[in-house]
Amino acid sequence: MTPVNRAAISSTMLGKPFGRRSLLRSAAALTAASLAPWAAGCASDDDDDALTFFFAANPDEAKARMHVVDEFRRRHPDIKVRPVLSGPGVMQQLSTFCAGGRCPDVLMGWELTYAELAARGVLLDLNTLLAQDKAFAAELKSESIGSLYDTFTYNGGQYALPEQWAGNYLFYNKQLFAEAGVPPPPTTWEQPWTFAQFQDAATALTHRSGSGRAMQWGFVNTWWSYYSAGLFAMNNGVPWSTPLKNPTHLNFDDDAFIEAVQFYADLSNKYRVAPNASEVQSMSTADLFAVGKAAIALGGHWRYQTFIRAQGLDFDVTCMPVGPSLPKGHAALSNIGSTGLAISASSQRKEQAWEFVKFATGPIGQAIIGESCLFVPVLRSALNSDGFAKAHQRIRNLAVLTTGPAHSEGLPVTPAWEKVVALMDREFGPVLRGSRPATSLTGLSHEVDEVLRAP
Amino acid sequence: MTSVDTPAAASPVSARRARGSKGKGPSRRRARSGRLFIAPNLAAVTVFMVFPLGFSLYMSFQQWDVFNPPKFLGLKNFEQLFTSDPLFLIAIRNTLIFTIGTVLPTVLISLVVAGVLNRKIKGIGIFRTIVFLPLAISSVVMAVVWQFVFNTDNGLLNIMLGWIGVGPIPWLVEPRWAMISLCMVSVWRSVPFATVILLAAMQGVPETVYEAAKVDGAGHIRQFVSITVPLIRGALSFVTVISVIHAFQAFDLVYVLNGANGGPETATYVLGIMLFQHAFSFLEFGYASALAWVMFAILLVLTVLQLRITRERSWEASRGLS
Repeated sequence: MTPVNRAAISSTMLGKPFGRRSLLRSAAALTAASLAPWAAGCASDDDDDALTFFFAANPDEAKARMHVVDEFRRRHPDIKVRPVLSGPGVMQQLSTFCAGGRCPDVLMGWELTYAELAARGVLLDLNTLLAQDKAFAAELKSESIGSLYDTFTYNGGQYALPEQWAGNYLFYNKQLFAEAGVPPPPTTWEQPWTFAQFQDAATALTHRSGSGRAMQWGFVNTWWSYYSAGLFAMNNGVPWSTPLKNPTHLNFDDDAFIEAVQFYADLSNKYRVAPNASEVQSMSTADLFAVGKAAIALGGHWRYQTFIRAQGLDFDVTCMPVGPSLPKGHAALSNIGSTGLAISASSQRKEQAWEFVKFATGPIGQAIIGESCLFVPVLRSALNSDGFAKAHQRIRNLAVLTTGPAHSEGLPVTPAWEKVVALMDREFGPVLRGSRPATSLTGLSHEVDEVLRAP
Repeated sequence: MTSVDTPAAASPVSARRARGSKGKGPSRRRARSGRLFIAPNLAAVTVFMVFPLGFSLYMSFQQWDVFNPPKFLGLKNFEQLFTSDPLFLIAIRNTLIFTIGTVLPTVLISLVVAGVLNRKIKGIGIFRTIVFLPLAISSVVMAVVWQFVFNTDNGLLNIMLGWIGVGPIPWLVEPRWAMISLCMVSVWRSVPFATVILLAAMQGVPETVYEAAKVDGAGHIRQFVSITVPLIRGALSFVTVISVIHAFQAFDLVYVLNGANGGPETATYVLGIMLFQHAFSFLEFGYASALAWVMFAILLVLTVLQLRITRERSWEASRGLS
């Protein structure tokens, strides 16, 4: 028995109340002592001088972004950068940070959701900084692709600078096409194929067993299904809305939009060339393409690395098909889907943040992005660079990627987008499952218009 | 009584000293120690419960998006909720269906399971452990596992139904099946807890009552219905109230099993999902707070009603017995 224990016991035996008090004091002292190094540890981890960079990425993407951060650190040793990787639920995490008074200095903005932050005054209007940095502004203007740069222009302000293009296109399995005797699809956006040609190819590439079970699918979608349906509608001559910024009406009730969505839904439910809602529950559509069980896959460049890692997969990329309502001779379209870098309006390190944004969205940062195999850069110099071509040696139709950003159109930019998505999720479901015709989207159009009028 | 208490309580000298020092005596010191002991818990309750409660009540009268200062709206959030939000009615309807679909089967199944586990059979401990296992699994893990089970093409449930000739059921794909699937998982999660409570109550029923019933010729089922169930009414009432509260607060299970929007369509759009969506997707924290207080009010009314009914019944029962 230790002397301390003995003393405690003897004081209790003697009936002295001080024993308990001493015990309490000791407990308090012990607690304080144990907490002190922990608190100190927290303080040391928390580098208050550093510029915080908030972004969302999967592990591969995080590595590529860290290359940009590391290169920036190397070139700007005086600026400390603390990367903050978001978990799932970006807006939830961001709002929690900002509510706690620790809004990140530089934050990733998404084409569809940045307006929600810009409208609330969270993001800094970068025009003020661009006006002071005329040389960079001029370089950016000449190097940028107009539609991508303008995506982040909202209510007269420039709230982010684009850093990568994440539009969607089609991957196709060259070997499966050759085996089925289907001619290879187009090589550029300017000479697209039609919905009918696409359907014929998908039908010829779908194989079923004697029991009717699909052994190989003609087409799989690896993106959000309602956005993919909307992309088919864009290629049928209907933009999501006119204008794209602060729209008061979305074109879900347009006949050509309905026609394209119906065509997309029919691929699964009527023509049976794509897996339906039940079938995609049990399998990853990207994996189906990677293992050669699907001939065409709709997706963005973030799938590229998954597919080049797949053993024995010989693939290339092609453009979207165009519908009958798109004017003749019109090129096929992709969506913009870009992320950009924004600066928090409450940042205490605006100058350092601006240096970082300039670096990541400028020629050097974009060159690193282009060589990563993970992203398509947004500056012309990086798009047409040897580094980008070298990172994509596996594909022949490189023009689909290098001219993709220029053939992209945006989705609506409104602070009410989260509410619109919730409505879309509800109303597109039955149409894409085949339990309601696409004409029912007229009802969705009215609901969305109400939300847009009173967000 | 501890050796510390003894001198203060027993010795008249100590008592006089305590009175003379005007409160500096051992009893006052004991009270202070007591306060010190509960202080950490009290602080935690204040910081993590009382403050958020008060804050959310304050926020329910404001418009607040976290980024900008709150703006006072008065009762506008509540007005909008009751008069112009069509999804509120859908969420109420779904929550009621989910509550009934969860609480009724939970109580009935746990009664039967507790009744079976209460029997004195060899190796009953193993069965008890198996039944209580789901209690140790987190809701999110449970929902992920059940997603595999509910898979339309390759799910365990449809494979097993296939053995008896039932075609594949689109458990999580079709709206009408989605709510049934959710209730099934919720019942699976709730039964162990309810069983623990009911089994404990059953073990408190005196053996002599059963012996008397046996003498009167009552069978097992008659004993269960006429003796066990009436005598564990308190525990049954507790289990019902807790299950109703849990069902009303359902969020994690729905979020993982049916998605962040309570789909497909609005099939599983319950109040918990609506609250989370408004707070963290739409950044309408004021509106979400108002909804939280409406949920609290509904639960309070339901619980008070339920307790009053139970009390009246037990009073009638005791009068009938006397």
